Amino acid sequence: MMKQSIFNLDTKTVVAIGIGAALYGLLNWVSIPVAPQTGLRPAIAILTIFGALFGPIVGFLSGAIGHIVFDLSSGTIWWSWVLGSAISGLGMGLVFMSKSFSVKEGRATKGNIATLAIVGSLALVVGFGISSVLDIYLFGEAPDKMLLQFTAASLANITVHVILGVGAVLGLLKVNRSNSNLKVSK
Amino acid sequence: MSKAGMLYIERDTLFHRLDGAVKLLMLLAWTVIVFLFQDIRVFIVLFIFGIGLLKSAQLPWTRIRLLVWVIIVFNIFNSLFTILVSPAYGSEVNGTTTVLIDLGYEVLTLETVFYILTLSMKYMSLMPISILFVYTTHPTRFAGSLNRLGVPYKIAYAFNIAFRYIPDLKKDFLSISNAMQARGVGMARGEGTIVQRLKHYAAIAIPLVQSSLSRIDTVANAMDLRGFGKHAKRTWYSSSPWGRVDVAVVIICAVVLAISITARVQGFGTFWYPF
Amino acid sequence: MNKMAESILSFNKFSFQYSSLAEPTLHDICLDIYPGEKILIAGPSGSGKSTLAHCINGLIPFAHKGKISGDYTLKGRCPAEQSIFEISRSVGTIMQDQDSQFIGLTVDEDVAFAFENDCVAPEEMKPRVAEALSMVDMLEHMNQSPHELSGGQKQRVSLAGVMSMDVDILLFDEPLANLDPVSGKHAMKLIEDIHRDSGKTVIIIEHRIEDVLEQPVDRIVVMAEGRIVAVGTPDEILSSNVMKENGLREPLYISALKYAGCELTPGIQPSSLEQLSSNKQVRQTLGEWVKVIDNSSMNSENGSLLELKNVRFAYGEGKEVIKGVSLKIGAGERIALLGNNGAGKTTLSQLLTGMVKPTSGDILLNGESIRQWSIRRRGEQIGYVMQNPNHMITQTMIRDEVGLALRIQGLPQAEITTKVEEVLRICGLYSYRDWPVSALSYGQKKRVTIASILVTEPQLIIVDEPTAGQDFKHYTQFMDFLSRLAEQGVSLLFITHDMHLALEYTERAAVLCNGEIIASGSTASVLTNTEIMNRANLKETSLSMLSRSTEVATPEALVRYFIRYEKQKKQVSEHE
Repeated sequence: MMKQSIFNLDTKTVVAIGIGAALYGLLNWVSIPVAPQTGLRPAIAILTIFGALFGPIVGFLSGAIGHIVFDLSSGTIWWSWVLGSAISGLGMGLVFMSKSFSVKEGRATKGNIATLAIVGSLALVVGFGISSVLDIYLFGEAPDKMLLQFTAASLANITVHVILGVGAVLGLLKVNRSNSNLKVSK
Repeated sequence: MSKAGMLYIERDTLFHRLDGAVKLLMLLAWTVIVFLFQDIRVFIVLFIFGIGLLKSAQLPWTRIRLLVWVIIVFNIFNSLFTILVSPAYGSEVNGTTTVLIDLGYEVLTLETVFYILTLSMKYMSLMPISILFVYTTHPTRFAGSLNRLGVPYKIAYAFNIAFRYIPDLKKDFLSISNAMQARGVGMARGEGTIVQRLKHYAAIAIPLVQSSLSRIDTVANAMDLRGFGKHAKRTWYSSSPWGRVDVAVVIICAVVLAISITARVQGFGTFWYPF
Repeated sequence: MNKMAESILSFNKFSFQYSSLAEPTLHDICLDIYPGEKILIAGPSGSGKSTLAHCINGLIPFAHKGKISGDYTLKGRCPAEQSIFEISRSVGTIMQDQDSQFIGLTVDEDVAFAFENDCVAPEEMKPRVAEALSMVDMLEHMNQSPHELSGGQKQRVSLAGVMSMDVDILLFDEPLANLDPVSGKHAMKLIEDIHRDSGKTVIIIEHRIEDVLEQPVDRIVVMAEGRIVAVGTPDEILSSNVMKENGLREPLYISALKYAGCELTPGIQPSSLEQLSSNKQVRQTLGEWVKVIDNSSMNSENGSLLELKNVRFAYGEGKEVIKGVSLKIGAGERIALLGNNGAGKTTLSQLLTGMVKPTSGDILLNGESIRQWSIRRRGEQIGYVMQNPNHMITQTMIRDEVGLALRIQGLPQAEITTKVEEVLRICGLYSYRDWPVSALSYGQKKRVTIASILVTEPQLIIVDEPTAGQDFKHYTQFMDFLSRLAEQGVSLLFITHDMHLALEYTERAAVLCNGEIIASGSTASVLTNTEIMNRANLKETSLSMLSRSTEVATPEALVRYFIRYEKQKKQVSEHE
């Protein structure tokens, strides 16, 4: 299968965005508390997985739409955090553009996995960093308090991204690796 | 969460009749106005006005109570957290210091207390309009409204797909996680360390993502077979032309927004401290 | 030659190979379908029938790429030179998975989907949507969301969505796969009504032949291994053995008549049970064949393993969905829990596995109450096998998947290896022990899920719709495998609405209807009780209909004899 241009919104891409958003929105209800006001959110792994599978556009839009959908069912839309989710999803998808990386075909180099882990973590820091800065400017939140919250949330998010997200991508890669040379054992 | 993934409650009020796009514009204008100011008087006015609108939509208190509590609890925690971490931040903003309590590492000032009140009121002033939007807009209207406001229809349609499949995916998720638990995979509190539990979540992720991927394929096939993406535009079954009320609300929003921006440019509305 | 020109669909020496596969999936297809015909395309899994459907609706070559050779024309034009949108104006597809095809958030919005994509103005759509919905008798459900509808109703909505486009050909891809028997019967009736009233060409892809043939069909196309192996009228096909030879299940009454030695010819119209039953020769031959067998030795309840005592359940404050169910399951027993969708089968299995807790009543395992047991603790005694194996498999390698529960229990590695290998031997997967799960077929994956449950040595295994998604050949293999497990002392509870499965593989059946057990007893007698079948909205098998209309034996006697005859036949063929 040929990789499609990342800017081409064919029907499958539209559906991938919608399903990715649904999963992200749904899993946002789950949080494993580790510290006050900070929890491990398994939803972050959806951004890792959908970014890796479908690229930055799907990552960006499923992050944004998923966040809005979650907010719509919980009362208030936090636009700054919508942007954070979107940027994180975009970053998770960057590795998709490497020719040696394809989850669907089970292909990835060690470098690709490292890129996914590192660029994804950076995207989480940058994305939710921007959200925090916006909260300071738009809502007038106290910078020290935001910094503390941001640091805790980033650590939690990176943990989920690396253990759960990258872990699941590795699992999917194994599942999809072509199964040639299989021999029936005695 | 309602079955359609949104919280729509059917009524026949002015708000329910307003076009989704108009309500979305109103929500956006309201949000921008809240962002512009840092003045508790503005927020109190917006809050009271918002509560009035909310009353007019005749939403049953029992259904919206939970969301109201969520925002109140959020505010309490947010305030306590701010007091603990930045007890003198209000003074920094206002430039005066009125010490209330000496916390040892820092002093808590009256300015901070007033700042927290302002901040909480800021969040509270967003609450009524958000609840109004969420409870009076049917999800079927949402995608069409976005498209009307200029969002490309394919992106808007992704919202529809998300709303449509959230309940199905929730069902998949629950049945997969139940089957896993029956095999001894612990995910609840007290069933293993956090890393173990996270790994167990990863175990669910694989079948959940696999079944989602096959769903993406079949849904995309179904949409292709029914002509999705055929033209550069599409129409929306649930949309209707704007009536006089719709146009009036948009004009009012634009005017209020313009006045607010002018006031802010003139210097009104920064942190207001009466003492 | 003249007729050729009229065909609406025409394949001539057509072959297709997916670009990802090394071998062609379709070989040398020659087939002409004429306007207004109703065609059944039947074949086992992997026969290429779905690929053929994709060629007809344009998903091939537009969504799935591959190499085409030979000719295919749709209304005289080559579809590959058109677009999928143009093809969708002529061919309307009703897909197997009703949830994936139902894209809208409400019924009317879903029907309008094609209009929206065609930029039809909203006020123009509304009357047309209403018209299409009234054709499928769903107008009153117009504002409902898909989650409030049954599978059959969702399928009707899909049909309305397709009808609204005014296509010439209606293509049904396994329309019965996700429906319970009564909904399936209604679906077939509706398809026939629309076919008769509109005169549209109807193509049905199915392997549940008996259910399709309840309504008239013009021709049956039998496929196997990518080729068309037979084309003919139902009478012609049923008179031959082409179905059985190609791993398809023929209608049960046809099998019974063939066992009895009746000579079936197109002339005696085997497709019509009524015609056959009025045939003197047929009645005589059947009557001579059936013998009454003594069943007093059966059905003695040995010590009960699991017992439900007046179990009641309601979700939260909602309506009670399980209304005082009492049921005993013996050790090593195979029992079927039958019931229509919505009867409470899923809830009952959730009560057994502990996913939900009864509001009152008790569940005993070996005489001990397990009401307070957690899901995990119950899981060691009561295994639950989901319908879709892909929902259960979490590990990459077969070995790891099967050993998962043991690893979590913290057993030493050596012991895990021994146990896993033993279970893999029982399940016939030992040769594949070092394979990744993804290399296995659907049926093999199902075995892996059984193996991963068996490894903790449960006393009871609940199998939810054991044969969903499998054709007759794989169905038989899988069920025979489960029967062998039961012989080793594991109790099996099958949750199903497949009457044939219950008849062939269980001794006892319990019928659930609106949260109550309305009958339980020997499977053959429960399933031939018309009153119970009607009350539970289940479908009588064609065997009992045959016995009723020929009056050669009681339905129960005929069913008993038939099952025993088949078993003996199977044993003989295994010995050979």
